[in-house]
Amino acid sequence: MIATEVAEILIFPGLTFFVWIAFLFDWLDRKTSARMQERVGPLLAGPSGILQPVADFFKLTSKEEIIPEFADKFIFFLGPPLFFAAPAIGIIFIPILGTTPIVSNEYDLLFVLFIIAFSALMAAFLGYAAAGRWSTIAMGRLIAQYTGYEIPLIIALVTPAVLAHSLSITGIVLAQQSLWYIVYAPLSFIVFIIAALAELEKRPFDIPSAKTEIVGGWMTEFSGRPLAYIKLTKNLSYAFLSALAVSLFLGGPLGPVLFADPTLQAALEFVYFVVKLLIVGFVIFVVRTALARIRIDQAVRFFWMVVTPLSLIQLAVIMILWWK
Amino acid sequence: MPALDPFVIAGPILIVVADIIVYVAVGKLGTKSSGKGNKYQPFTGGEEQIPVRGTYQSELFVFAALFMVVEAFALLVAGSFASPTNLYPLLFLAGGGGIIIIATWWLLIVGGMRQ
Repeated sequence: MIATEVAEILIFPGLTFFVWIAFLFDWLDRKTSARMQERVGPLLAGPSGILQPVADFFKLTSKEEIIPEFADKFIFFLGPPLFFAAPAIGIIFIPILGTTPIVSNEYDLLFVLFIIAFSALMAAFLGYAAAGRWSTIAMGRLIAQYTGYEIPLIIALVTPAVLAHSLSITGIVLAQQSLWYIVYAPLSFIVFIIAALAELEKRPFDIPSAKTEIVGGWMTEFSGRPLAYIKLTKNLSYAFLSALAVSLFLGGPLGPVLFADPTLQAALEFVYFVVKLLIVGFVIFVVRTALARIRIDQAVRFFWMVVTPLSLIQLAVIMILWWK
Repeated sequence: MPALDPFVIAGPILIVVADIIVYVAVGKLGTKSSGKGNKYQPFTGGEEQIPVRGTYQSELFVFAALFMVVEAFALLVAGSFASPTNLYPLLFLAGGGGIIIIATWWLLIVGGMRQ
């Protein structure tokens, strides 16, 4: 029993599975972006270059890991795996195989919110630990952006909880058996996607890692294994936030019941989940390719003046209409 | 009071341990180096003047730290709504909030407040 649970956490549908989803997201992101810009994208490693992210990861890990003279060596060493741990922990609370996640509790949505905050904090620490000119500028931008998108992100995630009268992700998924919450709270879904773009540092909110302005942003001083881990973590966060959107707004693995056999139905629900995950991911791929980067002051103003009021309006409407 | 699944606590710990083991193991693939000299200076974009350790606005950090504290309390209030028992909201919020507070404190003692 314990061995099964450990295998679920570390292998399937937990960590290892989601690392592969993260690689797949990276490939799809690059391929979509390339197609939209009339390029070919990854081509050589595996069929249509699908193994390119894996090849890139191992190429980076085999490169020299340079620790800068002024870097905080302790954070420089421990930061990347802790940064990776944040989304890796989050995924075990997401129901993927059926409506029961690997680990669940009545208040796991709160824990997931902390994980999202912790992830942004770790990115700031890594920028600090690197102690370079560009990473310092990037860290300031990252924190300013974080204070802008965090509040609407939380409000957007709390809206489904109010609808379901539950702070459990499983409870919220189960409450969507009749209708998905994207129908009741479309503004919250849109706000979540916008805030997720900022959390993931994707255009138009890639300000903390703007290549044409501040080299590699807060990742400038990282090389080799830490850089490989940071890039993998960003893709894992990509998959994790998409999975969270699927669970809270698109009914998680729920869908039409086609089989009487519970095993076959569970397999079908897994397919539903993966398809929804790819659709949400695809929306983010397209948006980030189509839009241009904005300035940090524009981003913060946009979040405080537009996105936060939108999220509050949606929450207020839901509370007025659904208060029992 | 409903029983707490031990893997709610053991699961995250297991992931962190496995993560660090893999990180250390993967580190064997490449070489590591640290020291003094041009190679180990912060990236300058080709400029001759090598910058000293970067500085930043400490006010922003104070604001961010306060922001997180307020956020933790807001979530504490949110978590207590319609709660049949205080145990789990407090456990989760103490765990999550504790990590953020310890991490922020860690940043401050290693010099994160330096102007």
